Amino acid sequence: MKKDRRDFLNTCFRFVAGAGIVGVAGVLAVKSQKGDFLWQLDPAKCTQCGRCATSCVVTPSAVKCIHVYDMCGYCDLCGGYFRPNVKNLSTGAENQLCPTGAIKRSYVEDPFFKYEIIDELCIGCGKCVKGCGAFGNGSLQLQVSHDLCVNCNQCAIARDCPSDAFSRVPIEQAYKFAGFKTNKKI
Amino acid sequence: MKNKLILWLLVVLLLVVVAIMAKDLFVSQNKPQENVYEYDLKELRKVDSSKISHKEVKQIKIQANELHGIAVDGKDQIYVTTDENILVLDSDGKQINSLKMKGNARCLTVAENGNILVGLGNRVDIRKPDGSFRNSFIVAGEKAFITSIAIDGDNVYVADAGQKIVHHYNIEGEKINEIGGKNPEAGIKGFVIPSPYFDLLMGRQGELWVVNPGRHAFEAYNSSGVQISSWERTSMSLDGFSGCCNPSNAAMLSDGSFVTAEKGLERVKIHLPSGDFKSVVAAPELFEIGTVGIDLAVDSKDRILVLDPVQKMIRIFEAK
Repeated sequence: MKKDRRDFLNTCFRFVAGAGIVGVAGVLAVKSQKGDFLWQLDPAKCTQCGRCATSCVVTPSAVKCIHVYDMCGYCDLCGGYFRPNVKNLSTGAENQLCPTGAIKRSYVEDPFFKYEIIDELCIGCGKCVKGCGAFGNGSLQLQVSHDLCVNCNQCAIARDCPSDAFSRVPIEQAYKFAGFKTNKKI
Repeated sequence: MKNKLILWLLVVLLLVVVAIMAKDLFVSQNKPQENVYEYDLKELRKVDSSKISHKEVKQIKIQANELHGIAVDGKDQIYVTTDENILVLDSDGKQINSLKMKGNARCLTVAENGNILVGLGNRVDIRKPDGSFRNSFIVAGEKAFITSIAIDGDNVYVADAGQKIVHHYNIEGEKINEIGGKNPEAGIKGFVIPSPYFDLLMGRQGELWVVNPGRHAFEAYNSSGVQISSWERTSMSLDGFSGCCNPSNAAMLSDGSFVTAEKGLERVKIHLPSGDFKSVVAAPELFEIGTVGIDLAVDSKDRILVLDPVQKMIRIFEAK
């Protein structure tokens, strides 16, 4: 049967439309198999501006400090724990850098001290992260805690972040902290 | 008439509302927000000018991707390791020679006879004074990472930050001893090295001074590995060292005083042989924030040569 030009164009259009629908369905199917996406911040881009503490819709912020122990020097004079120019290396509140006292310091052995983050007290201000990065190995890092994050469609912190450190990440790689054990589930 | 007036008022009101909405939509308000949680080191970066004992007299720019180490020989010739080679300069900064290296030369020292000892990862290369190859040896151990070398006659001391120990070799690479391992009975606490900054130098009387950066300490050993002296100063102020690994680099003046370089608070200071703070050579304001690996050397006139790896230059300081 001989087709005229109109039939030919109609067939082509239907074919292209059908291929498009199949393609979109395929992409969606692959994406749905991969699972959801979550908000996370990249410590390499983070400048510890303090907005994680003030911009999050959750109070206190869903961004918390995490401690990558593999990177820690277990220092006595920890830049993340003590205020600058501290005179006395003791656990007195006046010596602590954290505004909410969310870091617990405990003696290990001479000259090492262990620093643990108390999640309930941490407000994600990043002050300790900056202190650790300035003087130490950078083992204190900020991360979105997914058991607290409500995963807003438009993350309020991501909108305010001046260093563009926030992005959507696949649920399989929910954490992006730097260090020896990157992308470890916590 | 009255209705017309009301109509005009409403039109004006509508225009005002539209203008406000347009401003909100199209004019971005990127007001800088004050960080109420600012970590402020400004006060610590300030140095009282009366405490600065040296002035910068010369800057020698170096063309290289990375700068790692600096040393000075008996003729005050300057040696700088880059990621590709060793540059040899005269005391005025004019390039005399360039020695191609196989690997990233992290540190070096120059012997009295002019031999050049270079640390490359876990390997020590020894070059003759003319730059030709003499011999080479490997520091055993999976984690071996050489950060500093010192030589006294035939004795070669190698600081190994990876294994937290000082290796004692002869010039041929035969191992003689290990120095500084933890030994509570001998009162040696061991080296604490959280990051790869572990320097050492020869003292005026042939003693080996090793920086113990995790303890903010200097420890002196004799060639048998016996600790003979030590001092430590922990403080964020000028009188000591702070953070996890300071001082990161050191050198010695002819009177036995220590020249120290720090990271975190980038500064170069002088400590007396007792360890007490003496003066500041270079204040933090001279360096870019975040500068690490500021290496030091001292020439025969007690000029202090500071290798600035970020601004890629040698900065020479003389006493005021």
